[in-house]
Amino acid sequence: MTAILTPSPVANTLSSQPPAIRADALTRVVPLGDRQLTILEAVSLNVAAGETLAIVGASGSGKTTLLGLLAGLDRPNSGSVAWHGEAVSSLTEDALAKRRQGAIGFVFQSFQLLPALTALENVMLPLELAGARDAEKRAADWLTRVGLGERVDHLPKQLSGGEQQRVAIARAFVADPKIVFADEPTGNLDTDTGAEIVELMFSLNREQGTTLVLVTHDPELAARCGHVVRLARGKVVS
Amino acid sequence: MNLVLRFVRRELRSTEARILVLALAVAVASVGAVAMFADRVKGAFANQANVLLGADAMISGDRPLPETFAQTAAAMGLKVTESSRFGSMISAAAKDAASATARQSVLADVKAVAAPYPLRGTLEARDARGERVPLVAQVKPGEVFVDERLASRLGVKAGDVLEVGKNTPRIAQVFAEEPEVAGNFLSAAPKVLMSSADVAASELLGPGSRATYRLQVAGERAQEFAAAIKPKLGPGQRLETIRELRPEVRSTLERSEQFLGLAASFAVFLAVVAIVLALRRYLKRELDTATLFRTLGAGQRQTLMHFVGQFFVLALIACVLGVLLAFAAQAALAWAVRGLFASALPAAGWLPLAKAFATGLVLLLGFAIPPLVALAATPPVRALRRDMPTVGSGGVLAAVLGAVAVLAVVLMQSQDWQTGAIFVGGLVALVGVATLLAALLLWCIRRLVRSGRMARLGGPQSWAYGLANLDRRRLSTALQIACLGLGVMTLITVGFVRTDLFSAWQKSLPPDAPNRFLINIQQDQIETIQSLVPKTANGKPVAVYPMVRGRLVAVNGKTVTAKDFPDERAKRLVDREFNLSASASLPPANKIIAGDYYGANDRGVMSIEEGIATTLNLKLEDRVTFDVAGEQVEVRITSLRKVDWDSFRVNFFALIPEATLAPLPKSYITAFHLPERDTQTLASVVNAAPNVLAIDVSEMMARVRSIVDQVARALEFVFAFTLLAGLLTLYTAVIATQDERRYDTALIRTLGGTRSQIRSSLIAEFTTLGGAAGLLGVAGSVVLTWALASRILKIDFIASPVVWVVGFALATGLTLLAGWLGTRSVLTTPPIQVLREG
Repeated sequence: MTAILTPSPVANTLSSQPPAIRADALTRVVPLGDRQLTILEAVSLNVAAGETLAIVGASGSGKTTLLGLLAGLDRPNSGSVAWHGEAVSSLTEDALAKRRQGAIGFVFQSFQLLPALTALENVMLPLELAGARDAEKRAADWLTRVGLGERVDHLPKQLSGGEQQRVAIARAFVADPKIVFADEPTGNLDTDTGAEIVELMFSLNREQGTTLVLVTHDPELAARCGHVVRLARGKVVS
Repeated sequence: MNLVLRFVRRELRSTEARILVLALAVAVASVGAVAMFADRVKGAFANQANVLLGADAMISGDRPLPETFAQTAAAMGLKVTESSRFGSMISAAAKDAASATARQSVLADVKAVAAPYPLRGTLEARDARGERVPLVAQVKPGEVFVDERLASRLGVKAGDVLEVGKNTPRIAQVFAEEPEVAGNFLSAAPKVLMSSADVAASELLGPGSRATYRLQVAGERAQEFAAAIKPKLGPGQRLETIRELRPEVRSTLERSEQFLGLAASFAVFLAVVAIVLALRRYLKRELDTATLFRTLGAGQRQTLMHFVGQFFVLALIACVLGVLLAFAAQAALAWAVRGLFASALPAAGWLPLAKAFATGLVLLLGFAIPPLVALAATPPVRALRRDMPTVGSGGVLAAVLGAVAVLAVVLMQSQDWQTGAIFVGGLVALVGVATLLAALLLWCIRRLVRSGRMARLGGPQSWAYGLANLDRRRLSTALQIACLGLGVMTLITVGFVRTDLFSAWQKSLPPDAPNRFLINIQQDQIETIQSLVPKTANGKPVAVYPMVRGRLVAVNGKTVTAKDFPDERAKRLVDREFNLSASASLPPANKIIAGDYYGANDRGVMSIEEGIATTLNLKLEDRVTFDVAGEQVEVRITSLRKVDWDSFRVNFFALIPEATLAPLPKSYITAFHLPERDTQTLASVVNAAPNVLAIDVSEMMARVRSIVDQVARALEFVFAFTLLAGLLTLYTAVIATQDERRYDTALIRTLGGTRSQIRSSLIAEFTTLGGAAGLLGVAGSVVLTWALASRILKIDFIASPVVWVVGFALATGLTLLAGWLGTRSVLTTPPIQVLREG
């Protein structure tokens, strides 16, 4: 089944530009013992630049797989993904990594902070990998923006879950990415902290003009997004 | 590179990185400390053995040696003395015309020396009570020192005057022994020491005189000097070392070095275990970093380069730390054994440290690079799916590269392919056996747990749970059993080498080994001599062997001279006369290694010692011609013998049948043990048979025995050190899976598991692990010790069930203890804390 998202008013005004993300007939099949299991089947969608999209669905419906394919972390068995008009699913592994560098930000359910690195060093990492010279200053600025200006030297284990996710958000935005992908960003947080994180993420998204794609179980969070894709058994149902 | 360095700094905050660096540093430290200490001890042994040479190194030549040799030695800051050695007839100066016709002349071994002499050791005189005392005086011009034998043969004493060529020097001292006992002692004549300043006036050394000119040196850089001079030696010039001169000393030194080298190799073994374990834990953690790197846009190549760089820097840090530790540890070892050695240990060389440093780098990178390649290929999608299979170990490549790294390191330590092959083969076999054993064990556990037989057998459910845990962590369990087994194997083998193998060696030099040789016995004196000297332990007269002196002149009909052999030792053998003997049966301390020993009816055949056969390039069925007093004797080699020189018995390089020997001019030789205080026996032998020459090898034996004793003491320290490193490694092996265990245990506690249930489940796990490792370690050590005893040290393998049982019990007990110490905190820490830490 195919789902073409209705372009938003913002997207309309920029309709001459290619969508930030375009997915065509994405199919992902994995071997399971001696048979093949289809996790995603012919999923197509467009996300215009600056849009927010929530991918929702029951456990095992293929949400995270779709996110991985859209973010270029995984490869489809068939179909293609393009970012801002450039087909990325056909690129080599290293070329794809290069495209992600600085252009794509990630926020994970389990934060994925490196335990031996301080908050500041964790935020510096994408800039350092891209060879930026002012990594430390930019990272420190971002930590201040997410409200952790006083805790730059703290190790992840010295921070609460909400604080860790703030660090992760700072890391996602620090390289001025065009697209941010978030996988269950509030999944490991309590309701109040989750709400704060959502607030922070959306406000940064607005300020930076990034495209935000997130996977969530939380209907409230999904409702805040401009568009929602609902998956069931690997197919788009609405 | 900056990012790598920044990351290393950051990484060092983590426990895993610190443990890896520490494990590697300890490995480097133990390898370096043991090798460095062994090197110093070996240096000390060589120095002590060189006392038998009277110097640290000696060059000799048939003509006066070029002055550049002495200048080179002096430039290296060595003590130098030049001397010449020749044979001369010596007599007491005539007091009047009547005594001039009656006086006796004796062929003496004359050494013309210049102060200081000797460079190593001292001359010894006898005090009024007959005890040996050091004699520190130097020979002055116009004087001579004579040995007791010459004094007794000529009937002279200190103060008398001798005729030495045209000179008439006064006897200043009568000495009992001089330190230089090396050389062909069977031809030793009474000794005279004169001042080299008197040589010209004596007119003893004219053109064409047969003399040996010698340059002796002593000092720290003596070996360096020897190495520098060796390529510059001209025809007729030789570098003499104690190893080349005396087979007994050579074999003792080599054996000591082997023991010390083994200790160093064991340290490498333990290092491998420690590194593999620490690496595994660290790599597991680095998987998250690699995933994040890939997600954030680092390519596979960039990721790989980063990790390789990071490992390299970590390895450098660990190696530097390890080398510093090694230096401190060997200094501590040297301090601990300071009382054992007569003189201070020679300074440590840097080579062992450089080797230890290289060991660390080679081992870490050898084991780390294949998994790092796998790590760099981590798919970025793992950031979303934590349940993806974890990093590969690098598969066959990792195993091969690891084995190559170990081989390289062992070769670097022992420089011996055979030792390297035994170690690496042992390692590979052990890993294979460990995997099989672990698989078998896990299969049994699975059957036991699933069938519910455990409960029926009365075993508590928690035991079943503990065993199921081992089954669940199959890979970890197999690796742990292998590593623990390896550690246990090393420790048992170390204990075994330390005690059994070592005492087997010590036994080969019994306290009643012969210390006196009698040579030049004539056939009609045999019975008299046998009646005068002490009988053997079983009451029989001492064995007397015939001895024929012959020069090797042809091999397979082709004339040979010293020039035909490039090897120095071979040249010397061809230059000198061989001592041929006969023995109806294979003498004790001899072993046939090729061919058959000749029988009663064989004629014209020969059994030859394998070492000399190799040196002279002789093999079975070669025809060898000797010139015996102008008569040519041809014999065919029908057997090769291995001679245990450590036994200090009468041994011959060449044995031929009695019938072949019978028509040749010969004398007889015997050897026996004479208690040190017995001065009567030799006096009566000399009275009854004045032509017989008695040679005292007790000094040389005392030196060899003292080396053996010192090796024993030094080894105790080295092995204690290795043991400590081994225990640390075992502890690391046991706590390797501690994190998982802590998490599982916390989870069980939240689900209502009681402490006693958890305790019992942990006991089940660790007892099974320890038992399996103990079994494997004992089996491995039996094979390893057998291989070491029979292949490398050439000592009889002695089975010692007590060591095995104790080893097994200790392995099980210590694993349980270490496991318990490592995990018990989980019983007292609130589960929520453990779960939150993940």
